Amino acid sequence: MMVLLAGIPSAAAGRTVWGWNWLGRRPWAFTLLLISLVSLVVGSINPAFFQLSNLFDIIRGSVVQGLFALGVLVVLAAGSLDVSFTAIAALSMYTITNAVLDFTPGMPIAPIFLAGATAGILLGALNGLLVLGLKVPSLIVTIGTQYFYRGLLLTFVGTALIANVPASMEMFGKSELISFQPEHGMRAALPTFVLVLGVAAVLTWWLLNRTLLGRATYAMGGGLGIAERLGYNVATMHVFVFSYAGMLAGVAGIVHVSGNRLANPFDLVGSELDVIAAVILGGARITGGAGTVTGTLLGVALVTLVNNVLILAGIPNTFQKVVVGAFIILGGAFFVVRRP
Amino acid sequence: MTTFLEVCNLHKRFAGVHALRGISLLIERGEIYHLLGENGCGKSTLIKIISGAQAPDEGHLLIEGRTYTKLSPIESLAAGIETVYQDLSLLPNLNVAENIALTEQLVRHGGKLARRLDRRQLASTAARALSAVNLPVDTPFLTTQVSALPIAVRQLIAIARAIATQARMVIMDEPTASLNRREVERLIGVVTDLRSRGVAVLFVTHKLDECLAIGGQVIILRDGQKVLNGPIHDYGKRELSFWMTGRHLEEARYRNAPCGREILLSIKDLQRKDAFVNINFALRRGEILGVTGLLDSGRNELALALAGVRPAEHGIIALDSKEIMLRTPADAIHYGIGYVPEDRLDEGLFLDKPIRDNIIAAVLGRLIGRFGLLDGRKCDMLAQSVVNDLQIATPDVWRPVQSLSGGNQQRVLIGRWLTIAPKVLILHGPTVGVDVGSKDTIFRIIQRLAAEGLGVVIISDDLPELLQNCDRILMMHKGLITHTFNAENLSERSLYKALINENGHMGDT
Repeated sequence: MMVLLAGIPSAAAGRTVWGWNWLGRRPWAFTLLLISLVSLVVGSINPAFFQLSNLFDIIRGSVVQGLFALGVLVVLAAGSLDVSFTAIAALSMYTITNAVLDFTPGMPIAPIFLAGATAGILLGALNGLLVLGLKVPSLIVTIGTQYFYRGLLLTFVGTALIANVPASMEMFGKSELISFQPEHGMRAALPTFVLVLGVAAVLTWWLLNRTLLGRATYAMGGGLGIAERLGYNVATMHVFVFSYAGMLAGVAGIVHVSGNRLANPFDLVGSELDVIAAVILGGARITGGAGTVTGTLLGVALVTLVNNVLILAGIPNTFQKVVVGAFIILGGAFFVVRRP
Repeated sequence: MTTFLEVCNLHKRFAGVHALRGISLLIERGEIYHLLGENGCGKSTLIKIISGAQAPDEGHLLIEGRTYTKLSPIESLAAGIETVYQDLSLLPNLNVAENIALTEQLVRHGGKLARRLDRRQLASTAARALSAVNLPVDTPFLTTQVSALPIAVRQLIAIARAIATQARMVIMDEPTASLNRREVERLIGVVTDLRSRGVAVLFVTHKLDECLAIGGQVIILRDGQKVLNGPIHDYGKRELSFWMTGRHLEEARYRNAPCGREILLSIKDLQRKDAFVNINFALRRGEILGVTGLLDSGRNELALALAGVRPAEHGIIALDSKEIMLRTPADAIHYGIGYVPEDRLDEGLFLDKPIRDNIIAAVLGRLIGRFGLLDGRKCDMLAQSVVNDLQIATPDVWRPVQSLSGGNQQRVLIGRWLTIAPKVLILHGPTVGVDVGSKDTIFRIIQRLAAEGLGVVIISDDLPELLQNCDRILMMHKGLITHTFNAENLSERSLYKALINENGHMGDT
């Protein structure tokens, strides 16, 4: 048997450098490399970059995108695509804020989150059922439902900005986990809602790596027909992955309203590509079957970093898109090369 | 012996086609079965019903005394039936341990997915199953992604999965199609071991020689009915192929015409790094030249170089005494070199497109009519003439290629290359996955093309096929041409001996 196996490591070693191989098996390390690179460049141009308030700002700015990205990760790992999550978030956050203000203005934050998650699960499940029932590619179904959910929101629920959000949401958005006031420089504060992303990340990691559901998700992404033959219930799995992405989107919507203390029905939709880009930069494959929670979070951090701090290096806002675009192509090329 | 599975009077119809017409079978534990039959005889439908991928229209299955009118994949697995399809059903993005042992946990939980993954159990189950097929059980191997492993190892991993789920019956669909002879011998060893553990093994295959070497019971289907069932050693190869096809096929040499004298294609010092070196040969007009060797001998790479897919780096290729460069497939087409790939499904055919579009694909430039648009009538006429010429069995040229049988698909592909009026035709594994009857037709076409003056190169590991068709056979080993045989009066035995001697161990069969 050793004869059969003998060819593998030697053949691989002949063609690739060891360090390259090591990096190849850990796509997140590549993302981390890009993050360090950007930080060093920006920091050397403008030393003001290296302060706690910037770090906290990036974390704060990553929460909503991060929640979206974890959902996209699960859908991508299962070999599907979802672009309706921003519309799910917008529809559920605006509807729920409106309903709470109209009927129970004193509602505490926990049931509001529960409502957001439930609405997201229902809208996501509809995605899954449509993909399953119509046998239409998920990209097409979710482009359709993105329009559909957004149209419903703007036609039947409302188009007006809500500036006075429920008290519990405002409180939650304002509350701080830690704050820090240096002698010179800006006050740095980490909002409590960062914990939501932390909980979601741990939950997603646990689901993907420690349950049969998680293995089934990757199995589907590796080959749908094969997974079906091996006895995985792919019908249930379709509904599960889209519902899970929907749930995280619903929660992200509530965080978005709380953090901004504002419910704008025109928000969020349009940022899908940013999120998908972050997940891909984190090492997931657009064709499915791969991706990790760590990588995804790093990908989100990278995109947020580029979007927020390049201004410190004197690079104009509009040019940030060029940088993100270049990173995606670079990352894509890297991930293609590293795979045998 | 005890009965494991009883198949009772199964019927299955697909849109007017009666694929199974009352099949009944008995599968005993600890016995080996060979399910034979031409493409379209109902073999794959039968195994899909047993493995739970399809439901029968009539009839039922009796597994260890329990009656099922239909099965789901998970029920079939839970009943102890493991099916290793031709693609091995391995998930390329998961690691070795997961591929082997996840199914076992899935079956234990009755297919329910909202369960914790038992990672310790996963590793120990996988290690136990791997040791049964003599593969390493260390953690680096357990955590290797399956996509990084060679096909022979993947085959054993698929069998290890069957062992891990404690399967009592293993179905293997053409397990040896992509293995070399030595790997086949290993596989047979593992199967014999399974049998001694009381597992029933059902092979689905085209290779009669292997069935006869393995032994056991034979089941032959024809037109959806069982026509033969008994110990395989009671029958000879000729009888088996008679029962499969319903007609007597000659095993004689197809090659009977002499080849021309004029040199058509000459190859000098052709080289490509890590693939082949020092390749020299000449192909004459009307000659059929065979190239064989083991999988890593460089024969496939040589074929791809001549087709311009993966060009050679050094050396001279001359066609009609003029030096030519083959850098892309388009170059090869330009000089009149046609290449029929081994994997016609992935590399050759547009499966869901009509036969017509598949045939005309290489010569669109010549079919242009007014305004630079394709001339539909010219296209139809060309496609129809190829269909008539090669006797492709189809009512019209508008059917999708995937509606044809393997042999007819192969003829469409050969027909496409005939439209470029080729000087040289390179056929890579021309009858892989093609049944006995269609083989006969394809061989006759090859002979006819040579008689018309084409130079034909057949790259294949099917030794009888080469002996029946070629003038000369080149044997490759580690990138070099080591022997040139005159195929006339050469025995399969001596050719096989040369093949395995090159691989470093003596021929003992």
